[in-house]
Amino acid sequence: MLFHMSRNPEEPVYNRIEEARNSLGLTRQDLADKVGVHYQTIGYLEREEYSPSLVLALRIAKALNQEVSGLFSQTPFKKGK
Amino acid sequence: MSKKNKIYWFEGVTEKGVKSLLTDENSKYRWLRSQRNRRILVILMALGTALVAAGSYWPTLKTDLNLSDGTSVVIYSVTAIFAVFAVLMGYLFLRISVRGIADAPDELLDERQIKVRDTSFRYAYYGLGYIVVALLLLMNVGPEVKLFQPEGNDGSFLIISMLFLSAALPSMILAWRERDI
Repeated sequence: MLFHMSRNPEEPVYNRIEEARNSLGLTRQDLADKVGVHYQTIGYLEREEYSPSLVLALRIAKALNQEVSGLFSQTPFKKGK
Repeated sequence: MSKKNKIYWFEGVTEKGVKSLLTDENSKYRWLRSQRNRRILVILMALGTALVAAGSYWPTLKTDLNLSDGTSVVIYSVTAIFAVFAVLMGYLFLRISVRGIADAPDELLDERQIKVRDTSFRYAYYGLGYIVVALLLLMNVGPEVKLFQPEGNDGSFLIISMLFLSAALPSMILAWRERDI
């Protein structure tokens, strides 16, 4: 089920990780080091090809000084918001 | 900082070995990591394993190879050793190409890597199951169609190729499926 959730195009989890990371001037490697994952995993997350666990989502939100609800959504984010 | 290199006996890897593959510190293997090159390696591994397995049948096929002749035995043995060595090298390169993820323990991987590793093992389990069933059928009908004969065909190369396949199949699936490693 988890595997299907991560790649199911009908249930995508949208995020603003790349935008938030860039605004802090962090590289993928920097963010990966902060949250304890491989830098390729950050790439998968940013391309919305992988949906993180709740624990990882919380760690990413903390590392990027954001609320989880402001970083992840089941509906696409509007640009510039 | 501890310099002790933990050995994971069950997985057949070391902590430093996996960590070295997971980082990009060894850039000389970067060329192996593109999906195209990984897929080429998977195809070569599949062909190599099939070639090793064919070693069990070669002498019984309608060829000029006659294993009662000394020269033929040397040709057969050298070819077999070369094929086994080539597959072994292919397996080592394959592990490097997927950063050792298929063989790494949970504590050295992140949650996405654990998920793709486990998915690869699930597919490998299905794949090996089908192959084993096919081989059992082959062994059942083998004697009737004279696939198994005493001269150089005791099935040992078939067993060697199965050992290679059981070790390499999760890495092969991972190498084939993943876009970025």
